[in-house]
Amino acid sequence: MIFNYIKIAFRSLLKNKGYSFLNIFGLAMGITCASLIFLWVEDEVSFNDSFAKQDQIYYIPTNQNYDGEWRTFYSTPGPLAQVMKDEIPGITKATRSSSEERLFTVGDNAINRRGRYADADFLEIFSLKFIEGDRDKAFNNPEAIVITKETAAQLFGENTKVFGKTIKVNNQDTYLITGVIENLPKNVSFPFDWVAPFERYRDGAEWMTTYGSNFSDTFVELSPEANFEEVDKKVREILPIKNTNSDTYAFLHTIKDWHLRSKFEGGKKVGGKIIFVRLFSIIALIILLIACINFMNLSTARSEKRANEVGVRKAIGSSRPRLMIQFVIESLMMAFFASLVSILLLFLILPQFNLLIEKELILGLSNPVHIGILFTITIICGVFAGLYPAFYLSSFKPVEVLKGLKVTSGSASFIRKGLVVGQFTISIVFIICTILVYQQIQHVKNRDLGYNKDHLIRMRANGNIIEKFSVFEQDLKNTGIVEGVALSNSQMLSAGNNGSGLEWQGGTNTEEVLISYRHVNSDFFKTTGIALIEGRGFKKNQNLDSTNVIISESFAKLMGDGSPIGKTITGGDDVYNVIGIAKNYQYGDMYGTSDPVMFFNNHNYARYFYIKTKSGVALNDMLASIEKVMKKNNPAFPFEYTFVDEAFNAVFKSEQLVGKLSQIFALLAILISCLGLFGLAAYTAEQRSKEIGVRKVLGASVTGIVKLLSKDFLKLVCIAILLAIPLAWLVMNNWLEDYAYRIEINWFVFVIAGFVAIIIALATVSFQAIRAAIANPVNSLKTE
Amino acid sequence: MILQLNNAARVISSGGKKIALLENIDLNVNEGEFISLMGPSGSGKSTLLNCIGMLDNFTDGGYTFLDEQVHTMKEKQRSKLYKEYIGFVFQAYHLIDELTVYENIETPLLYKNVKSSERKALVADMLDRFNIVGKKDLFPSQLSGGQQQLVGIARALITKPKLILADEPTGNLNSKQSTEIMELFSELNKEGVTIIQATHSESNASYGSRIINLLDGSIVSE
Repeated sequence: MIFNYIKIAFRSLLKNKGYSFLNIFGLAMGITCASLIFLWVEDEVSFNDSFAKQDQIYYIPTNQNYDGEWRTFYSTPGPLAQVMKDEIPGITKATRSSSEERLFTVGDNAINRRGRYADADFLEIFSLKFIEGDRDKAFNNPEAIVITKETAAQLFGENTKVFGKTIKVNNQDTYLITGVIENLPKNVSFPFDWVAPFERYRDGAEWMTTYGSNFSDTFVELSPEANFEEVDKKVREILPIKNTNSDTYAFLHTIKDWHLRSKFEGGKKVGGKIIFVRLFSIIALIILLIACINFMNLSTARSEKRANEVGVRKAIGSSRPRLMIQFVIESLMMAFFASLVSILLLFLILPQFNLLIEKELILGLSNPVHIGILFTITIICGVFAGLYPAFYLSSFKPVEVLKGLKVTSGSASFIRKGLVVGQFTISIVFIICTILVYQQIQHVKNRDLGYNKDHLIRMRANGNIIEKFSVFEQDLKNTGIVEGVALSNSQMLSAGNNGSGLEWQGGTNTEEVLISYRHVNSDFFKTTGIALIEGRGFKKNQNLDSTNVIISESFAKLMGDGSPIGKTITGGDDVYNVIGIAKNYQYGDMYGTSDPVMFFNNHNYARYFYIKTKSGVALNDMLASIEKVMKKNNPAFPFEYTFVDEAFNAVFKSEQLVGKLSQIFALLAILISCLGLFGLAAYTAEQRSKEIGVRKVLGASVTGIVKLLSKDFLKLVCIAILLAIPLAWLVMNNWLEDYAYRIEINWFVFVIAGFVAIIIALATVSFQAIRAAIANPVNSLKTE
Repeated sequence: MILQLNNAARVISSGGKKIALLENIDLNVNEGEFISLMGPSGSGKSTLLNCIGMLDNFTDGGYTFLDEQVHTMKEKQRSKLYKEYIGFVFQAYHLIDELTVYENIETPLLYKNVKSSERKALVADMLDRFNIVGKKDLFPSQLSGGQQQLVGIARALITKPKLILADEPTGNLNSKQSTEIMELFSELNKEGVTIIQATHSESNASYGSRIINLLDGSIVSE
């Protein structure tokens, strides 16, 4: 019997090629889209899964209180790791760790690699797999370094034993390779290419041993029997005990949550990227739903063709359940073909999708989970899409349909219309969301940053370049294309290097406020374009400004009424004179308000310099000139640079990804909906061909008939617009509330989205309407 | 006695008004009879056939089929009854377009859960008997009207029904094909199958052993 059903289903597929194509292709697009999202979600939720002891490993963030508000940082004082391991039962291993980029040189081979300084426990905690060397002994030598297989191959060539060889680091220190580890998989939250003993980080500076400065990542491993709550309670208590004059406490944060749930507000975990995982999962379901709706609509619209068969089958003895099974099997077949097509589509699309989302997802058809999911999606689609048509079609009474009576499809056509409205509502919501996401990203990108990011190049201050800065600066200016060179201890776009405990006169404002410190040179303001609005700038000679500071507008505001110029700020034993006020500039969270800034004239802490080039110089010439200067002054280091405007754009990567994906989804939703509408319009036109014939004979014009046929569908789309507007407003209002700096939702967006939907629907329907309208009425009337 | 109608009626309401499609129908049909229902369009021939075939229901009166009270039965029992004992032949043949001749004939057996080997034997017999073995793999659209009706009759007979209900079985056929089909019916009748046909044609009606004339939903003469 089943075989018989499959045979009929197959023949009926072949017989109605157009209809089958619409159904299968629509469903295939839905399944493809859902599969892509599934692959993405799978990758996202599997972050850090590769660490064998992932269930026992915790990252230690700290909550710090500023101005009555808890803020969460991934930085801890140096002694914390050891003290937790010693004093908290349940914590078996702990490591300090800090991520750094270093220049490795072997002979003529020089490469920059990001890695970590850490304690020996690090190797154990993350179960690093040693290819060469011994995990237990790797850090016995203070000059040790452990590198990944890939790094080893890049430095020494493939398949070379490198154990015991040395690497020159940053052109000054020598490191001894004591181990080679397997490459880390792509989906870890903190990729690293090497690990070296923590003692070598910043030469073990004094401040790293106090509780006063938070700078280190700390990881701990809990024993398998440890009770999370008990250990966490102890961890929370330990910093206030050790460092009584600070409002800071540490806590446990599982590395399983690191990737997806690492957003903190008021010191509490509030989610993070998990929201995208949920969002896209829901979108996948919605798109599948739209595709299934197509199927239902087309099947029930075709009911008149099937009605006769239903009548005959009932008359010769079929029961209703049997007919239902038959129809569901048909839709399962359809879903099965659709999933075959979608596998093909996935092969074609996945490389592009990977480019877009910057991942390396693989289809992995040999993975039983993937096959299982695809199979499940197929079955669910088939059953879900087939059930309603099966229910509806099998309800026909044989007497009526065999007599050729019109199938009275009042309820079915109502449901069909409802489904079309549903599809278009979703599509229009997608369109509106896409427009608003785009607007919001543009809005922030066009935000006045307080400085000019164009023609600004950032470079790392490597080696001893700062010591010979004046020569280097002159060389750069001699190229004739450089307007200015700025030094800074921090990137323009980044937050960090901040602190509290400053006091100032002339105001009641003595409560704790986080202030960012920026160590710059005199040309910093001119080069970056941050305007000085009061007072003077720094002197070229930094020694003349050793006790002078320039503060940002927001800092000046904190200091109360009257000009702050000439007032003093005290930080510990140091007293600074305010000599100037700079305009606020935006850094850190591009959507928020940046903390106040205090600028020092101090070249010694500089880690970056910024080169402002003249506009109108060809990019290649410009880079070549600068490279020449760099090679002359800093020959040991590779020429690496970042354009600030590009770095700025990179800040919005996840937003832009959401933007791009929502564009794709909106497009898909519309496309699938239109496939459905196209099919529906075709059947309506066919159904009404006699009516159209009669009308034409009676003198109706082609335009009149096109209008007549299009009107009904337009009505549905209009209802969808009315439903979509409040829905989209709710969703987007909610989304925008997460951003302090955001757009207002303009009613015009709704008008555009509605207009687009109408145009698309009209184009889809009118094709069929025109075809029906220009047909010769003789043909449609003769057949009766 | 195969069936008995006792003052049977079918009344429907349309637009608030009651319309009697059938009224005061008294009819006894014995096994082996060949009855022709005659009357103009709208006289109720088809309705009567459908009601007898249990595709439709009488709204009043008694209907006994093989000593069972059909009018008090539930839908499920009725459908079981007609599946077992009644075969239908339609004016428009109503073959399933997607199935071959063989499969069309086989379908009723599938619904009766007949075993595969037995199905094969039964269908082969039927194809043989109707001389359509060579056409068994063709689809209905590849056959002439007469051949399609032949398949339709074969399909009705495959479950060995006691009663065949034929609603204008030759309505779409030319006179030569008509004659062939009617001769087939009379042959079947001789083999013991009870047949009730509705027809417009006097000559077709003459094949029957008994003619019943209907007008406006009532039996006017016999």
